[in-house]
Amino acid sequence: MMASSYNAKDEDGHHPGSVSSGGPGAVKSKKPDNTAFKQQRLPAWQPILTAGTVLPAFFMIGLIFIPIGIGLLVTSNNIKEFEVDYTGVDMSSPCFNCAQNYSWNSTSGCTCSVPFTLDQPFESNVFMYYGLSNFYQNHRRYVKSRDDSQLNGDKSSLLNPSKECEPYRTSDKKPIAPCGAIANSLFNDTLELFYNHPNGSRIAINLVKTGIAWWTDKHVKFRNPGGINNNLSVVFQDTSKPVNWHKAVYELDPSDPDNNGFINEDFIVWMRTAALPTFRKLYRIIQKKKDNMTPTLPPGNYSLDVTYNYPVRSFDGRKRMILSTISWMGGKNPFLGIAYITVGSVCFFLGVVLLIIHHKYGNRNNNADIPN
Amino acid sequence: CFSSSAAAHIGVGISGQEGIQAVLASDYSFSQFRFLQRLLLVHGRWSYLRMCRFLCYFFYKNFAFTMVHFWFGFFCGFSAQTVYDQYFITLYNIVYTSLPVLAMGLFDQDVPEQRSLEYPKLYEPGQLNLLFNKREFFICIAQGIYTSVVLFFIPYGVLSHATQSNGVPLADYQTFAVTTATALVIVVSVQIALDTGYWTAINHFFIWGSLGTYFTILFAMHSSILFNIFPKQFHFLGSAHNTLGQPVVWLTIALATVICIAPVLAFRFLKLDLKPQLSDTVRYTQLVLQKKQKPCGRVGRGVGGG
Repeated sequence: MMASSYNAKDEDGHHPGSVSSGGPGAVKSKKPDNTAFKQQRLPAWQPILTAGTVLPAFFMIGLIFIPIGIGLLVTSNNIKEFEVDYTGVDMSSPCFNCAQNYSWNSTSGCTCSVPFTLDQPFESNVFMYYGLSNFYQNHRRYVKSRDDSQLNGDKSSLLNPSKECEPYRTSDKKPIAPCGAIANSLFNDTLELFYNHPNGSRIAINLVKTGIAWWTDKHVKFRNPGGINNNLSVVFQDTSKPVNWHKAVYELDPSDPDNNGFINEDFIVWMRTAALPTFRKLYRIIQKKKDNMTPTLPPGNYSLDVTYNYPVRSFDGRKRMILSTISWMGGKNPFLGIAYITVGSVCFFLGVVLLIIHHKYGNRNNNADIPN
Repeated sequence: CFSSSAAAHIGVGISGQEGIQAVLASDYSFSQFRFLQRLLLVHGRWSYLRMCRFLCYFFYKNFAFTMVHFWFGFFCGFSAQTVYDQYFITLYNIVYTSLPVLAMGLFDQDVPEQRSLEYPKLYEPGQLNLLFNKREFFICIAQGIYTSVVLFFIPYGVLSHATQSNGVPLADYQTFAVTTATALVIVVSVQIALDTGYWTAINHFFIWGSLGTYFTILFAMHSSILFNIFPKQFHFLGSAHNTLGQPVVWLTIALATVICIAPVLAFRFLKLDLKPQLSDTVRYTQLVLQKKQKPCGRVGRGVGGG
């Protein structure tokens, strides 16, 4: 199928160069150059779709995709995931009272405790997520309502935030830090896990709050103004906190200066807007035990203690807590495995069908005389 | 003299001793009447073929690119949020997909010039408007819409529940944007590779070069250097590295590519196999002939006469 260039016979015999009427001076030939480029004789590869290339391609795709799909599906099925919805929609739900009695001005958060059971042990690192539904973090006005130079620690943007943040730009005549609707709607529920030991004691499970954000976000994109090791309450003194926050930005984690202010990891995780209206964000990590023998979360009864600060009932949203283990391909994702198996089978089947059609009806005209 | 050229589709003038008036009024001109044969059967035919392929591909790639926003509208509250990064939208038609289709529009040939002159019947599709009419147009559009459905819903299905291997979810907007954009560029590049029938060195350079340029610009714009200069403009910092380093993302892209291209491949193979056009038969015979000639010595490039 490789073709090399043609031999273009020059049909043009000797021909006096055309004379332009009444032109003085040298008579230049108007004949175009006889180069491969200008005569469209460039060497080229001319592929054709023949049975010898297309059919093996379909079979190869089938033979590659089906094992990949099976591998992905098996890996995904081995991942353990557990989800509990704690919005408190039903009257019987433990968080129903918190959901009903929500008021913006309450200073003490309402708490509720949701019991659940894990049937299987969760090994290795376990990741705890909070999930929201019907929350459109991908709305255009919402997505642009932020000031990335303010979040990068730029002093001038701190005191004069971008107009994109309107109407969350100033409050009490002072600029808001961090400005914008994304920051204003920061998720502020507190979730704690307790294991109800069979002997009656309630063991708190250690939740690690760092290492949950992208490295580039934590170390490059988000910087506190005034550099590191600075007294943050002084740096932010001429700004006000976002309207819907209970605490100011420099009070997000006073115990850890590397997780306070704009570089607070929960804040960074929230600021990375989700693509779809139902999403989950990483909240905490439960690290595996030092000895690799005991599972991180043994099967049994657990309870999730929620400090219910975040109102979602007004837009019919839902809140969930998800516990999941991880593999090389991430969390539980049967879609990819099933899709690969389906596409691989369809391609293989298509290859078989095309083979049959080619064999029975495939044209032999290619070898016959060309009608003229 | 003028009116016939003006009324026709194409005006052809022959420059000669009666002056150049006809030449000035015409679209094409040459010096001898016998050149009309080459103008019609070789260049006119190639030009029609190139134009039709170019148009079909152009509509296809723009529908594939734009309709993804239509599907995304259902999931973003119809707020007109773009799926892609704004710089990708700017550069898609100018840089990433313009040169390959330009090269196809300039250099494509289905049969060589000798055969074009030997089989004048090859000129018929142009006269009958077979290569680009309402039906072909709707097929191009339908293919573009189908591609946009695949390009949106496959990343939607995978990324909505996916996480990276360090536990961080992949469902954020920037990862979705990079995945969809990369899948789009790869799919339309594979499609132009299927459409191009005559691969000169320039075609190779433009197609692979455009893909390489896409990845270069992607990594450059998502780097910290540009972010530090213009934080508000280049806020996709780190997305390319984080997203394209995940095996799940590449598996998604490969899946989307196969789902988009396999039906096209099957359909074109069936068309060639069951109902080949005269140009397909001539092309096939020509290439078989050339393969047979090869072992008998090099197919010489003829010395162009002088």
